[in-house]
Amino acid sequence: MSRVVQDGGPPGPAPSGKRWKKSSKDVDGHPVDHWILVSLEEDGPVWPERDRLQLLNADIQRVDGEAKVTGAARYSHDVRLEGMLYAAVLTSPMPRGNYEVDLDAARAVEGVEVVLDIAGGTVRYLGQVVAAVAGITPDHARDGLRALALEMEPEDWAVSPEQSKAENAPEVGRRGNRRAGRSRGKAEDVAAALEGCAAVVEAEYREPVQHHVCLETHGVVVDYNGGEEATVYASTQGTFTVGGDAAEILGLPESNVTAIVKHMGGGFGSKFGLDIPGDIACRLAKEARRPVHLLLDRQAEFSMVGNRSGGWQRVKAGCDAEGKLIGMQAEIETYGGLGRGSNPGLPYIYEVEEASSMKASVMTNTDSSRAMRAPGHPQASFAMESIVDELAYAVGVDPLEMRKRNLSDPAYQRQLDRVAAEIGWEEHEHKSVPGTGDGWTATGIGFGVATWGGGGRPSCEVEVRISSDGSVVVEVGTQDLGTGVRTYVTAIVAEEFGLPMSAVVARIGSSRFGSANASGGSVTTACLAPSVKAAAWGARRAFLERLGQALGVDSDQLSFVGGEVVDAGEAGNRRSWKDACALLPAEGLTERGKWKHQLAGNGVHGAQAAKVRVDLKTGAVEVLEMVGMQDCGLPLNHLALRSQLNGGMITALGYALLEERVVDAELGLLLNANMEDYKIPGSMEIPLMKAIVDTGDERQVVIGMAEPAVIPGAAAIANAVFNACGARVRELPITPDKVLAALGRV
Amino acid sequence: MRLDGRVARREGEAASVSRRGFLQGAGGAAAGALLAGQAAEAAAAAPRVVRGEQELVLHVNGEERAVGVEPRTTLLDALRIRLEDPLTGTKLVCDRGTCGACTVLLDGDPVYSCLVLAMDVVDREVTTVEGLAPAGEMNAVQRAMCKHDGMMCGFCTPGITVTLSALLEKNPGASLAEVREALCGNYCRCGTYPHVFDAALEAGRELQRSGR
Repeated sequence: MSRVVQDGGPPGPAPSGKRWKKSSKDVDGHPVDHWILVSLEEDGPVWPERDRLQLLNADIQRVDGEAKVTGAARYSHDVRLEGMLYAAVLTSPMPRGNYEVDLDAARAVEGVEVVLDIAGGTVRYLGQVVAAVAGITPDHARDGLRALALEMEPEDWAVSPEQSKAENAPEVGRRGNRRAGRSRGKAEDVAAALEGCAAVVEAEYREPVQHHVCLETHGVVVDYNGGEEATVYASTQGTFTVGGDAAEILGLPESNVTAIVKHMGGGFGSKFGLDIPGDIACRLAKEARRPVHLLLDRQAEFSMVGNRSGGWQRVKAGCDAEGKLIGMQAEIETYGGLGRGSNPGLPYIYEVEEASSMKASVMTNTDSSRAMRAPGHPQASFAMESIVDELAYAVGVDPLEMRKRNLSDPAYQRQLDRVAAEIGWEEHEHKSVPGTGDGWTATGIGFGVATWGGGGRPSCEVEVRISSDGSVVVEVGTQDLGTGVRTYVTAIVAEEFGLPMSAVVARIGSSRFGSANASGGSVTTACLAPSVKAAAWGARRAFLERLGQALGVDSDQLSFVGGEVVDAGEAGNRRSWKDACALLPAEGLTERGKWKHQLAGNGVHGAQAAKVRVDLKTGAVEVLEMVGMQDCGLPLNHLALRSQLNGGMITALGYALLEERVVDAELGLLLNANMEDYKIPGSMEIPLMKAIVDTGDERQVVIGMAEPAVIPGAAAIANAVFNACGARVRELPITPDKVLAALGRV
Repeated sequence: MRLDGRVARREGEAASVSRRGFLQGAGGAAAGALLAGQAAEAAAAAPRVVRGEQELVLHVNGEERAVGVEPRTTLLDALRIRLEDPLTGTKLVCDRGTCGACTVLLDGDPVYSCLVLAMDVVDREVTTVEGLAPAGEMNAVQRAMCKHDGMMCGFCTPGITVTLSALLEKNPGASLAEVREALCGNYCRCGTYPHVFDAALEAGRELQRSGR
């Protein structure tokens, strides 16, 4: 079929599996452009239409589920090697100062093998490692730490933003304590725009430092015996981010160091590279010429491996009588310790006619912040969603409607409507004025939205091998953080060959396999899945080609269906997968695949709603229900996506109500470096939850969605508290005292 | 120097102060008091004092396992580190009786193995996550956890699975409220709770159907 090109565009929508392609042919000696229909596969692999998928786009059980529920899954913590030493670190109890440790006393302790001074006598932040000890058991390593008899002479410090900004504050960063960041827009233009607004609200919002609280602490096991090779078992989000630095410390060529990440117990953005404990473990192993196990203890974990930066945001914003946002000025400070902290800036996702923002980092003598699931976004979301809400109530517009009026993307319209319907907004009694409750408790509903990139790039190289006995292996060095990578890698290959999940084995988590991206920024699905698809697609085409030759038929008439090879030609026969594979040569078939742009997309949307009950006498907030909806292009595994969405909302609940690093500014002490005093959500705090994968997103590409799931929940809870009882709490976490204060009762 | 007191405290704390450490310390003080008092009857009634490495036999997952421990060795460390062929399914996370990742069964009851000394359980039956079902099989809770995706990174999963197995063994008809209550000592950071609840309720139904 072909049509002459007249207006530059294709004649109409292409049928399923095809696309229009411009082709030139000579007519009376002149070249004339025609549109012709070609198979999409001519350009390489594409994701099949959703209704043709057998495994993907459905609930798929985790392939490593059995290993995890039976205790068979081996994490870095669980590695046990001949002659292995266990190491522990001593962290600085002071934010700044000079110290002395008695290394010989520690070396004299029974069972202690190696003792190292790590910081060279000076510390710059609270929790910095000053010394490390390796012993025959963790108990012996700790005996060694006690014997170090740390003595410190403090220097002036700043652990709070107030201390850091004070006159005569000690110098924290080498380039000043307050470092200006990007500024956007002109405050004068916004001021003019605000003049004509129906309502203007000015408010300050504060966010705490939140910890990652990975259940498996940071660290590695270094298998090194003084030889020419080493293996590093790392709890990391990047298999390929570990070996280079380890090799350098051990004095080995990088190619002689293997990184292994079979399972890892949570990272949330905090686990990249060899990192501080990995660095120390390699130094200890090099000195001992024995394997060293250094996985931090919980106190060190809270002290020195990063956090979500705290922040302060002052916002002045106005809207017209219908709730359309007219102007917004924002001043943003990020509190990332010795790091810069993060905030993507305001007005975040919303469309505001005239906006300006100024950003600055205020440095303190505390641990540097790191990426934490959607870095900066929950902070920006809290301020933005709060002020949008405050304006909605100020002009008497339904807060749901207010959001829809300032977000033009149809995805947000669709998602906000759905989460509102699920949580019962329609029948909710008080929408544009807060409730008052029954004198004891009050119930309210709030909303928030999220965005993220989640796109991919060329970074993975995946190998698919089919053996003549019928076994199928897919191999790539990538890591599974618990997101279900191993499962969708298996499923993509199984889908390609019409095989059950059990017929394919995914081998991942080794730097000896094909390269892969580190898992940060929710890019893994969009980097890896297209590469796996490309390898499987290539293997399928190569296999069909071979089969065609072996069987003396046109390979185009062969296909893989339900564990069989079906010949659609005259022969019309079927052959089992095993019999077909037996036709392969002894070496089987190997195909490698790389990233294909047409399989990956970018840009996701999410909306969440929360329903809370506020105890008006105590100020305690209980989240009754949360609904989250998230798009991600083509959903690979709905079950794992719902897990991910639930998990994001639960982390947001902790951020909203429970979590906060507490540092005593006067004493410079970290007060809650343990899981009793730093409270994360437990089973009693979990509301009724509904996680909805947005199937209204029809993009036939894969996109990551883990991070946006964590963004809007805290703001939705804060807004629900206001909707319940009129308590506007502008500082997270929303603890009972703050609720009572906002109600004017304390 | 205004921090003197704190630094001194800090040195003693380096290994992380735990309930266990506190109890050990308290035991030492009591022993000292006894010696000072020279009370013969009290000494006779006092616990046997042991020091250094001890060989003992633990009953773990239906087997007798010889293991060398120190008096201070926790059951958790005995399982994960001291056993000849260590059982690493049980996880160390908070190391102070908060998070439940180290949950094992002692004569069928869930306990935090980081708070139990190995020497105290020589006569008890210890069941770890590896022993919940015969090798190569899964119990009802484990199957339901897989079906409902009651896990993500999986580091809390052994503790949760052990806790739920103990609950449903005694009370297969446990309600959602009872499941939550049973799990209130098991933290998960990935946020798998909703799917864990689904798994628990389904496993309970299955156990009831099969007449357990």
